[in-house]
Amino acid sequence: MRPLDPVTSKQRVAYGLAFFVVFVALWSWATFGGYVSKTFLANPLTMVQEGYDLLAKQGFIYDIGMTIWRVVGGFALAAIIAVPLGVLMGAYKPVEAFLEPFVSFARYLPASAFIPLLILWAGIGELQKLLVIFIGSVFQVILMIAVTVGATRRDLVEAAYTLGAKDRGIIRRVLLPSSAPEIAEILRLVLGWAWTYVIVAELIGSSSGIGHMITDSQALLNTGQIIFGIIVIGLIGLLSDFMFKAFNAWLFPWRLA
Amino acid sequence: MTILKVEQVSRTFPARHGNAPTKALEPTDLVIGNNDFVTILGPSGCGKSTLLRIVAGLDRPTSGRVTLDGREVTGPGADRGMVFQSYTLFPWLTVRENIAFGLRERGVSEAERNKIADAFIRQVGLSGFENHWPKQLSGGMQQRTAIARALANDPKILLLDEPFGALDNQTRALMQEMLLGIWERDQKTVLFVTHDIEEAIFLGSRVIVMSARPGRIKAEITVDLPHPRSYKIKTTPEFVQLKERLVEEIRTEALKVTEHA
Ligand SMILES: Nc1ncnc2c1ncn2[C@@H]1O[C@H](COP(=O)(O)OP(=O)(O)OP(=O)(O)O)[C@@H](O)[C@H]1O
Ligand SMILES: [Mg+2]
Repeated sequence: MRPLDPVTSKQRVAYGLAFFVVFVALWSWATFGGYVSKTFLANPLTMVQEGYDLLAKQGFIYDIGMTIWRVVGGFALAAIIAVPLGVLMGAYKPVEAFLEPFVSFARYLPASAFIPLLILWAGIGELQKLLVIFIGSVFQVILMIAVTVGATRRDLVEAAYTLGAKDRGIIRRVLLPSSAPEIAEILRLVLGWAWTYVIVAELIGSSSGIGHMITDSQALLNTGQIIFGIIVIGLIGLLSDFMFKAFNAWLFPWRLA
Repeated sequence: MTILKVEQVSRTFPARHGNAPTKALEPTDLVIGNNDFVTILGPSGCGKSTLLRIVAGLDRPTSGRVTLDGREVTGPGADRGMVFQSYTLFPWLTVRENIAFGLRERGVSEAERNKIADAFIRQVGLSGFENHWPKQLSGGMQQRTAIARALANDPKILLLDEPFGALDNQTRALMQEMLLGIWERDQKTVLFVTHDIEEAIFLGSRVIVMSARPGRIKAEITVDLPHPRSYKIKTTPEFVQLKERLVEEIRTEALKVTEHA
């Protein structure tokens, strides 16, 4: 190993898998070996059985679908509002001066603390879940995009001006394309956070979703199901991250060239 | 007909963090006529870029004014093409798209854009690289693309800020010949900034020597060498004589800088 030396893609996969092997081995050692009580932590086999039971008999697929739709819905709502606002803030300093103090303040409001208030306003239906995710993501995205757009290379902007670009052209043909990969990266990052908000939203006053299943299992002390639920969240996250990355690479080939 | 007039233009950068204000440019006068190739020669930090940026409209003079064909310059525009000291190709556009940037901004149709862009790609010797991204090009190729990008816009005057400054000697010599070839063929009004004495003489019809900071025009030398010029001219007695004269001028200025520092 030397600093910054690259690994081959085969090695990368092998190392990545090795971690999970080590992880499951430690888990098995702790549970099968009897070092941890069953009440607190199910062993891997029980977890797999419980998971199968959830999927085959208890309609867990429906819960997964609900959770995914909430994340995607709330996140899309946030993105639709946040991307244009963030770009405007980054491009126009007066807009930034107007909105930045509020957005910076709102960014620190924990989305989960809004849940009781949102239940009061929007009930315990889908709208409330979407709003939790929306509040949790929208301010973060606005601010991060504003910073990215504001940091566009000045020399590129100047070059565009000397080529006859006007303000609209600068935004559409310089600021946007130069920040687009960063914007996609920001969305990928915040989508990950949206997953935490959705589970929290589902833990309280919900009748479906992965978070709801986890609360139910907790009442029955079924740690196998809880762990299975958590692993499913992780896997979906991993998958969506992977797809997002592949999509970004396909969208912005000039970065890798 | 193109006439660029720089009248009593000065630039002082305001004080920051308790530092004294920087006087980058003393009031300067300069007239550049149609199809002139003027080179500005001066030591580092003497305000060459500052002057060029003011002409381009990217910076405002503290006093004085710049006019192009009688119209005062108040901001950047397509009539003054610029090639920057740093690499400024748009990384998300291919070579062809970069060159066509200004045309597209003007609403030229795609077929027409590609035709013009491809003609300039040939002129700067980048055939075969039309669809490459800037990241895949060497520094010299990037600057050639940048020159083609500025030329494709057909500006009244071409401003170049040490475009070959970061290139090795061989490449730089080839680029000088390429640029001069384009100028000899198409006739353009050019203002070219450099700190390389040979480059200033080889390319220019006139060399303007600037003094060390605060920048001021110190001398102006007409280069009477015949066109078309080939690289061989660099070893002729006339060339060497001009060079010696300029070396003296520049040396005194460079010395001033080191003494101040
Ligand atoms: N934006 C700025 N703010 C403050 N000072 C500046 C700014 N731009 C340039 N200067 C100062 O003005 C002086 C002239 O700078 P300029 O970039 O014009 O020099 P130059 O002749 O192009 O040098 P070089 O050959 O190294 O490119 C320098 O002393 C520099 O520190
Ligand atoms: Mg400079």
